[in-house]
Amino acid sequence: MNQVNDRNRDIGPFVPQPDDDQIICRCEEVTKGEIRRAVHDGMWTITEVRRCLRTGMGLCQGQTCAKLVKRIVAAELHIPQSELEPATSRAPMRPIEMRVFANEDGEVKTDE
Amino acid sequence: MSERIPEHPILGVQKKGRVVSFTLDGKTLQGCEGEPIAAALKVNGVMVHRYTQKQHRPRGIFCAIGRCTDCVMIVDGVPNTRTCITPLREGMKIQTQYGVSAVPFDDGKPTAAPKK
Amino acid sequence: MQRFDLIVVGAGPAGLSAAIEAAEKGMRVIVFDENAKPGGQLFKQIHKFFGSKEHRARVRGFVIGQQLLEEADRAGVQVVLDATVIGLYQDKEIVVKIRDEIHHLKGDAILIATGASENMVPFDGWTLPGVMGAGAAQTLMNLHGVLPGKRVLMLGTGNVGLVVSFQLLQCGCEVVALADAAPAIGGYGVHAAKVARCGVPFYLSHTIREAEGTDHVTGVTIAKVDEHFQFIPGTEKHFDVDTICVAVGLSPMSQLLKMAGCSMVDDPKRGGQVPVCDEFGATSIPGIYCAGDVSGIEEASSAMIEGRMAGEAIARYLGYIPEADCKQAEKQLERGLFQLRRGMFAPGRKGTKQETTDEGIRLSQTLLTKGYVADDEIERFPGVTHRVGVHPVIECTQNIPCNPCQDVCPKHCISIGENITSLPTVVLDSTCINCGMCVAGCSGQAIFLIDEDKGDGTAEITVPYEFLPLPSEGDTGTALGRDGQPVCGASVVRVRRSSAFDKTNLLTISVPKEYAMKARFFKRCG
Repeated sequence: MNQVNDRNRDIGPFVPQPDDDQIICRCEEVTKGEIRRAVHDGMWTITEVRRCLRTGMGLCQGQTCAKLVKRIVAAELHIPQSELEPATSRAPMRPIEMRVFANEDGEVKTDE
Repeated sequence: MSERIPEHPILGVQKKGRVVSFTLDGKTLQGCEGEPIAAALKVNGVMVHRYTQKQHRPRGIFCAIGRCTDCVMIVDGVPNTRTCITPLREGMKIQTQYGVSAVPFDDGKPTAAPKK
Repeated sequence: MQRFDLIVVGAGPAGLSAAIEAAEKGMRVIVFDENAKPGGQLFKQIHKFFGSKEHRARVRGFVIGQQLLEEADRAGVQVVLDATVIGLYQDKEIVVKIRDEIHHLKGDAILIATGASENMVPFDGWTLPGVMGAGAAQTLMNLHGVLPGKRVLMLGTGNVGLVVSFQLLQCGCEVVALADAAPAIGGYGVHAAKVARCGVPFYLSHTIREAEGTDHVTGVTIAKVDEHFQFIPGTEKHFDVDTICVAVGLSPMSQLLKMAGCSMVDDPKRGGQVPVCDEFGATSIPGIYCAGDVSGIEEASSAMIEGRMAGEAIARYLGYIPEADCKQAEKQLERGLFQLRRGMFAPGRKGTKQETTDEGIRLSQTLLTKGYVADDEIERFPGVTHRVGVHPVIECTQNIPCNPCQDVCPKHCISIGENITSLPTVVLDSTCINCGMCVAGCSGQAIFLIDEDKGDGTAEITVPYEFLPLPSEGDTGTALGRDGQPVCGASVVRVRRSSAFDKTNLLTISVPKEYAMKARFFKRCG
């Protein structure tokens, strides 16, 4: 079984680390300690951590922190990073105002 | 703090737009028309573009290509404007962003990075 | 809904190359790019590219960018800028935001060439203004003509870290040091050597402990790390800096492909999440292709070939060219790509420890840890020979895909051979005419013209010089060694500028002859 799915696995206790107050997700200001704590609270996938803490859900959409969060979660679960499914990719890929998102226009003007 | 490169050994003298005035938090500054607001601020020695919502920490230019959104400010009343890819225009009103507002936090001063 | 034969996302080297190829075959092509200017990162690349003639070697990146745009224009490729593709769906439909409007388009084929984004590494104070990506520094200085800072520390010694450090020096910034948590320099030795000979120290197995400052960066502390990347107490070093640049690798921006449902794989050798694709960039969804860094981090040169290969493949997929016609062109492109992927830095060799060159010569360990080849190591490389009169000394000591030196010498004094990653050698019985083309033509600035004995106790050394102000004949100063440390007094006897040198000026300095094999750079008095 994929180790992420085996929720009975013992990952050990949460041990505080000196760099726990380091910001990892810059947009949403989520710290390393918060991410590690979330894993011990049962958030074992990137998606769960995201929903719990909003990592990667700010303006930059995880451009900067995706890899960093993955590394921290994998280390906490004692699994290789490749076992963690990355966050779901959804439209819109970039931050966009709702008034623009709803403003569907006709054709792209081309010089043909 | 920072300045323009007068002549570059490979790129020569860069073509820039005309000099225009704009304001930052009410103070009049000058920059070149069409260059990113962030570049104009950099030349004027401005490092802090905003203070963050939760921890009230300063942020500035980080990726300079519109991806990271660290450099966002309030431009002509619109918050969260990416200053690194928004061209400077004459008379622009630029404000330091606190969270998503132009009103400084109650603690007034920015908080320093916590020391251990 | 508007339809195109091919929709390309990303107007960088890969996307433009594919679009040109497809448009030339008669396809109706449109290219979207979220930036205000096309060319991707090419316009920030001011160094001469590696490779061989077919890869446009010896041409500076921004010039290649201009050439690509002109080609695209001639081929009738439409490039829409400030156009952000915010969605890609399985049935080859895209959603693009252009200014305040949303458009839906369909392509018979889609090429994703969105490139990569910079990796980051967190440390205390990394959110302070003044900490920025190396790409940001490059953007500020090379696109906007603004200094990123005055005193800079560079974290990362891959090619990006090395190249940007040199660019910072070219703008007049002081680079206080390069640090890297890895035990060896990751980028090309020749790039490191250019920086080291300017006197910039390298700290390998070191990383940033803390960025200091209240409102912005005022200093940085680095410290040594052990083999588990843990800080070793007592090894801290402090530097007063106003800027910290981070260059710790790139990640493919492959989110659109994942969103469309293409099979993805986590491949550290390719830089992270990448699509499963064949050698032409065909993904698991028929009609959706990828090219360039999005399919695996490499160089702009390989991105351009990948783009052209994808363009060919798409033309074949849509029936614009018969199967048989592609074979010849594809073979040539594949050969070009194969050449770039050889040598010490080949994608397949990433992360492997190498002791010797392909020729069996022991690699310079000083180059890997300090950024320069030590005086007692340089003699073992085949480009370093001693002769009477002026002759080239080629300090190219790693197998990298590059051979312009062999082409530029009008007297055929330099030979690399068929395999472009072989170390250059000086041809026996060849006659150097001191034209300087090799010095200016070496993309790695690793060739020097040396007259070891002028007969009056002096030697003359011609070095490449890409800084301002350019010294004048008669100027006196200090000759610096490969390590950037002063070795002796020197005077400038000749300054050469020529359009054939393409902004690499040649400085000939006179030094006492015992320093002929030591002096490699010049610093003017005062």
